[in-house]
Amino acid sequence: MAPTKQAPTRQAITLKGSTNLVTEFFKYAANTILFQRGVYPADDFHMVKKYGQTVLVTQDLALENYLDKILKQVNKWLLTGAVTQLVLAIISKDSRVTMERWVFDINLVEQEQPTGASGSAPAKPESEIQAEIRNILKQIVSTVTFLPVIDEPTVFNILAYTSESADIPADEWVDTDPLAIEASKSQQVKLRSFSTDVHRIEAMVAYRYEG
Amino acid sequence: MDNDEFSTPVSASRSSVPWSTSVKRDSLAADLERDPQLSTAKRKQRTQAFHSQMTFASLERQVASLQTSKAELEAKIREKDAVIDRLEGDRRWLSDREKEEREEKERERKEREEEKRKLSSDLRALRNSFQALRGEHDDLQDEYSNLKRQSSQTIATQKADTTTLSRQVALLQDELASVQAIAEQRSNALEELQLQFDELSEAQANTSRLSSGGGTEEDENWSIVREELHRQANHLRTVETANAKMNSELIMLRHRNTSLEVLKEQKRELEKKVSGVEQLKEKVVRLEAELDAARQEREDWASKSASTPSVAVTQSLSDLRLKYATLLEENGSNVALLHRREKELEDAQERENAFGKRIEDLEAEIELLKEGLTRAEQRASLAEREVGFQQAMLASFTAEETHDGVNTSRLDDVAKQRVSQLESLLADYKATIAKLESEINDLTGDLSSTGGDRRPRVEIIKDLESERHKREAAESALRELESTTESQVEQIDKLEQTLFELQGEIGGGRHIPPGVRVLSLRDNPASQWEDLSRKALERVKDENEALLKRLKELEESGVRGRGGNGGQTGEDEELVPRKSWEAAIQEKEELEEALKQKEKRLIRLKQVFSAKTDEFKEAIASILGVKLAFYPNGQVRVTSQFDLNAAFVFQPTKPPSASSLGKSNSEAMTMKLVAKGEGGPEELPQLMRYWVEQEQCIPCFLASVTLECYEKMKREGLRPAV
Repeated sequence: MAPTKQAPTRQAITLKGSTNLVTEFFKYAANTILFQRGVYPADDFHMVKKYGQTVLVTQDLALENYLDKILKQVNKWLLTGAVTQLVLAIISKDSRVTMERWVFDINLVEQEQPTGASGSAPAKPESEIQAEIRNILKQIVSTVTFLPVIDEPTVFNILAYTSESADIPADEWVDTDPLAIEASKSQQVKLRSFSTDVHRIEAMVAYRYEG
Repeated sequence: MDNDEFSTPVSASRSSVPWSTSVKRDSLAADLERDPQLSTAKRKQRTQAFHSQMTFASLERQVASLQTSKAELEAKIREKDAVIDRLEGDRRWLSDREKEEREEKERERKEREEEKRKLSSDLRALRNSFQALRGEHDDLQDEYSNLKRQSSQTIATQKADTTTLSRQVALLQDELASVQAIAEQRSNALEELQLQFDELSEAQANTSRLSSGGGTEEDENWSIVREELHRQANHLRTVETANAKMNSELIMLRHRNTSLEVLKEQKRELEKKVSGVEQLKEKVVRLEAELDAARQEREDWASKSASTPSVAVTQSLSDLRLKYATLLEENGSNVALLHRREKELEDAQERENAFGKRIEDLEAEIELLKEGLTRAEQRASLAEREVGFQQAMLASFTAEETHDGVNTSRLDDVAKQRVSQLESLLADYKATIAKLESEINDLTGDLSSTGGDRRPRVEIIKDLESERHKREAAESALRELESTTESQVEQIDKLEQTLFELQGEIGGGRHIPPGVRVLSLRDNPASQWEDLSRKALERVKDENEALLKRLKELEESGVRGRGGNGGQTGEDEELVPRKSWEAAIQEKEELEEALKQKEKRLIRLKQVFSAKTDEFKEAIASILGVKLAFYPNGQVRVTSQFDLNAAFVFQPTKPPSASSLGKSNSEAMTMKLVAKGEGGPEELPQLMRYWVEQEQCIPCFLASVTLECYEKMKREGLRPAV
């Protein structure tokens, strides 16, 4: 377990602030993917203004609760640096085959704290971070143009890659299959990334492609 | 016997008929012979025959009547059938009607449901719009704060700019004044020089007139001198024009300064406008309050809607819509205002930028002018040097003249006097020129380059050569470095490609990095779907089983019902491979039984294991005075029995199986301490430093901690917590 770092400078974003930002991003990214990939019917979603654009967010109470539960735990893990990756897997209902895996790598940004205030780079303005997030969400929307069309009912699951030493609520979270896509039929596309002063999130989509 | 039985009836029946006829004939014959009493009997017989005939006829009549009645009845039956048919038709029609009615009812119910759904969707839409409005309100607030901050920033920067600009203007003015003063000095000096020169030239003319020999040469020299003087005068004029230009520049700068004042004024106006934005903010607050009220109303409405649906609801809905529309309008106007403000701010910024650019241009021009000035000064110095040269020439001429005078003995005292006067004048000139040169040097201060250049030229060339060599070496090194960087860039590209592929491996979920767990929420949509489908499968299985059972029953009953129909039963048996099915079921049951037993055994083993571990823990606690707690992630917590606050958590670094820490000393343990308060913190750091860092012996460390804790407990008179 890495010791939790304290806020490096007075103006820079704190670990907690960054964690909240990243968690919020996951919420909207997951909602966008679920809407764009048609995992849930489009009627279930309503428009919300966020990051200076409209984002579609689900109204399905069960789904909302599920996402909230996951994001709360992810928030805790982010604070301790225990989670390294989040994966949203889209699975075919009939054949149980994994169709797509939306991968979000979470990296802690190294900070040269001992050099003092003079050496550290100036804090990244939140508007810039928001612009980066907006770009990722837009790219997720645009992936519909090249991802294979899904014409069968699907269901999704969210996987969290954590370190072995992480604190895990045993009755809620269980070890699970990584829902892999076989190598011969897998394609991947790297998406944009965004970073706060503390975290760096790199997005990627791996999908099954037969042809 | 059998034969008798077979023969008797036929023969009897056949033999009886001729017997009877024979009897009748006998009687007839007897009639003829015997008394008339016999004839009465015969008559009786006849009447009897007649009677029988009559009865036969009546019977026949009865049969006929019965037949007719039967026909009638048949007709009646046919009628009845027709009636029944008609009634059945009626019934069918009625049932159709009933069905239609039911369908209609169904349709109506659907419509009602549709309406309900529509209403609920409306409600949802309203809620959405409300949320959107709230979001917009938040955005507006954000934008407003941003605007405020930006405007204050721009004001501050503009103030700073104006102060710097005014300072620059003052500086430039000072410089201009000094330059003007210098130029005036120069022009005065030059005028003096010209006067002197004029005098000198007059004297020279006189002397030339006096001296007829070599006069033409002197004339030429004088003309050169004059030309030189003209050139200098021209130069002076150019300097003066430069001065005038700079003056005009200064005036322009002052103009700019005034325009800057104007800018300040505009800024103040902008500030006032910002104060207007405060009003906007108030408006926003009011809007928020209205929104709150609307929300309240909607909640009221929602609560009401359960009880009174129709008119009131629609009215409040329409009211709400109206309000929403008005709110939207207000919002639009606010947005427009904001846009206007933004545009104004942008304009101001643009103007500011333009001014900054102009200032830069002016600075550049000033630089240019300064350069021109230095150039002019250099030219002036050159001219002065030339003047000195001319003076020297003049001196030589006068010397020659005196020489000539001595030789020819035509020289007058007056001329001599003049020459001496001229010489003194020349000396004065020289002195003034020297002074001017020194002044110029002071002003320019650029003699070092020429002074340093003369002496070590060879050295400088050498230095230059060495520098060039160095440069070449550096360039070659640079080229090498560039090539290496190129190769490294290529390598980086390759590595990035492999990294991308490896990321794809991880992204595709085919590779899991070591030391990483993949987790998912137990209650996730995928598992829910799986459960659902499993349930459906189980239900289908149950149904299948029930159907099979039913089929079996049917088969059995069918076999009984149909009796000896062998082909049919054969087909039924082919429908279900009964035997293999039953065998499979039996096998399954056996396996399930075995599984249950295995599970039971496992549970028992677990129980035994947990009992053993408890024993083990107790043994450790009683022997070592330490309580152990094993965590699922491989960590072990050790708590001293004598002081519950002295707790340590150990984590095995590499092999997760090495949970026992007593024996392997060589294993380096990463250790975390959760000691609180009294758990021996006085010696603990030293103990840790000695046993863990130096000796790397954790058992010894624990033993010493146990000792410390025990002593402490004894001192405090407590009992060990068991």
